[in-house]
Amino acid sequence: MKLNRRSFVGAIAASTLAAPMVRAGGHGTPRVVVVGGGAGGATAARYIAKDSKGAIDVTLIEPTRTYYTCFFSNLYLGGFKQMDDLGHSYGNLASAYGINVVHDWAVGVDRDAKTVTLAGGGTVPYDKLILSPGIDFVDGSVPGWDLSSQNAMPHAYKAGSQTELLKAQLMAMPEGGVYAMVAPPNPYRCPPGPYERVSMVAHYLKQNNPTAKILIADPKPKFSKQGLFEEGWEKHYGGMIERIGPDFGGENTSVDPAAMTVDIDGDVNKVDVCNVIPAMKAGRIAEIAGVTDGNWAPVNAVDMSTKADPDVYVLGDASQQGDMPKSGFSANSQAKVCANAVRGALTDSRVFPAKFSNTCWSLIDTNDGVKVGATYEATDEKIAKVDGFVSQTGESAELRKATYEESEGWYSGITADMFG
Amino acid sequence: MSSSVFLSGAGIAALVLAGAVAVATANRDRQELATAEAAIGAVHAERDVLRAKVSELQETVQEHAALEERIRELEAALQDRDAASQTAEDAAEDSEDDPATVLAGIGDAENGKTLFRQCSGCHEIGAGAENGVGPHLNLLFGRKAASIDGYRYSDSLMRAATNGLEWHADTLSDYIADPRTFASGTRMSYAGMKDDADRRDLLAFLRIYSDNPADIPEADPTAVGTDHSVDPEILAIAGDAEYGEYLSSECTTCHQASGSDDGIPSIVLWPEEDFVTAMHAYKEKVRPNPVMQLIAGRLSNEEIAALAAYFKDLEE
Repeated sequence: MKLNRRSFVGAIAASTLAAPMVRAGGHGTPRVVVVGGGAGGATAARYIAKDSKGAIDVTLIEPTRTYYTCFFSNLYLGGFKQMDDLGHSYGNLASAYGINVVHDWAVGVDRDAKTVTLAGGGTVPYDKLILSPGIDFVDGSVPGWDLSSQNAMPHAYKAGSQTELLKAQLMAMPEGGVYAMVAPPNPYRCPPGPYERVSMVAHYLKQNNPTAKILIADPKPKFSKQGLFEEGWEKHYGGMIERIGPDFGGENTSVDPAAMTVDIDGDVNKVDVCNVIPAMKAGRIAEIAGVTDGNWAPVNAVDMSTKADPDVYVLGDASQQGDMPKSGFSANSQAKVCANAVRGALTDSRVFPAKFSNTCWSLIDTNDGVKVGATYEATDEKIAKVDGFVSQTGESAELRKATYEESEGWYSGITADMFG
Repeated sequence: MSSSVFLSGAGIAALVLAGAVAVATANRDRQELATAEAAIGAVHAERDVLRAKVSELQETVQEHAALEERIRELEAALQDRDAASQTAEDAAEDSEDDPATVLAGIGDAENGKTLFRQCSGCHEIGAGAENGVGPHLNLLFGRKAASIDGYRYSDSLMRAATNGLEWHADTLSDYIADPRTFASGTRMSYAGMKDDADRRDLLAFLRIYSDNPADIPEADPTAVGTDHSVDPEILAIAGDAEYGEYLSSECTTCHQASGSDDGIPSIVLWPEEDFVTAMHAYKEKVRPNPVMQLIAGRLSNEEIAALAAYFKDLEE
């Protein structure tokens, strides 16, 4: 059933600021429910609430009270950031923007009744549902590892306690020990992330445990910013890092969390820390909602609505949208396009053309920052890359320092853009 | 004992004989060597004559090529003139042939797969693809032309590569449309795919086998942006502040609406003229920051004006 936009606006105008409605589906203030309070969800909730000025009722469902950003969490491993620097509260979204923030897990979606079920038992009705659940892991992608092994072999690919655990294990490594990483196959969250992490781990070890080694088992022949990382590793951490790609069996890797061993194509390595980053898929609620096809949720580039349901939108890592990398920046960019479209569909606000962009900064060593970025547009088929750039090898130390400072400015900017 | 005396006698005889044979052989070798040297001398002389002829022929060929080039230029000029006069007549939309719109998006890879049958006689693609009559087409996008080791390219393509030809959506489209116009000496004996939509579809199929920007963000673009020409009266454009507010959301991922400026400068409360001037400086790559060059590069003059109109009064 289509909503009558004009009657909503009329109702708002007549009753000025009405008390929050108990139900939706054709009466009262239109309701948007956002599941997931990260770079996609928090941004979408904030923009819809901010720009609709009370004409849309926004509920944000997010289980954690403090959100730790996955972006910059590698810098915590390297000692450049404290865990507190990465934590953000939802208080401002509630108090300054009137968003109804619900700290609970969304465990069900009834697309016919247009409701979301919470783990705590309640249901929340919606006119438009925005899912931004991030990633979950594909079972069995690294033989020997499953979620029950995440304390012995952390993934640390969702920031928070996992990141702290990995840091603690890194600090407890014996002198001359081995840090292993099982890198993920494409596509995955943050393409340069595993390699920035290796850089940060190397930075820590160089200061505190210089005879230690880093071993990477990688199923991919190539990775993002490869030339820049390899140049930096040689320059700052010569001889410390060994990467075994698929040409030497890197894709044929299994682990034994009890024995702390990594088997790379039959070669069994005893290691001291093992950071397993498994293959990824859309956060589970997208699958529960029935909007995924395979591991991800296909969406329309023009507004991020799913191919499966025009009233359900998927943002960020969980979406299958085309050329944009899975990153916090991408999710934030997609959220604004989505917010504009959702607002236009529920009220009579102007809808502007979709524009997307992304930049990923990575830190290789102190004041040695690099970046890669691109602009994107919506085509009938997908979000398509228009133009891009990447830092060059052999850049001056001055430029690399400026790039790192720019990344710190970006962090302040995007978190302000997400949480207000 | 006696047998050993006998043996040593026979040994001496054998040595003498061997010596005589050796001298004779050496004499014969010397003669043969002289004959061979004479023959080599003759061959060298002949080779020098042939070399001279070859370089003469090469000069002629180059002259011919230059003449052909000149003929093509004249033909092209003629065509341009014809086309220009025709365009003047039917100036109506003929956007199908406008190169800017040809690659505005990427096509249907499924149809491209069918079209690829025209190519698969010579080109392999996908897992385990190898060079055949033509080079394999894996990782084609963003690749320098004529750059696969072990494949012998035509001089034409090698020359183009030396001049900086790389395979992107636009260059591939031009090449596939009319290979011989694009590289006159190419050995790709293919008449060309004239239909724009077909080429887009074929490129969408080929694109599958190159790095995906989603996995490796620095991988080659798949879309071509709108081309903006600089309007001489851009500063006079009145900005649509509401559109500016929407567009500003792209800026506030990095630049804070509060005006804070740690690492990234403040862009709020600027006089409109300064804002517009700065954005056009990025757009024209006069200012160096690559992020800003990208962002400004695809904003139209109206969009820049809209942003300036929005940010000039923004106070949080």
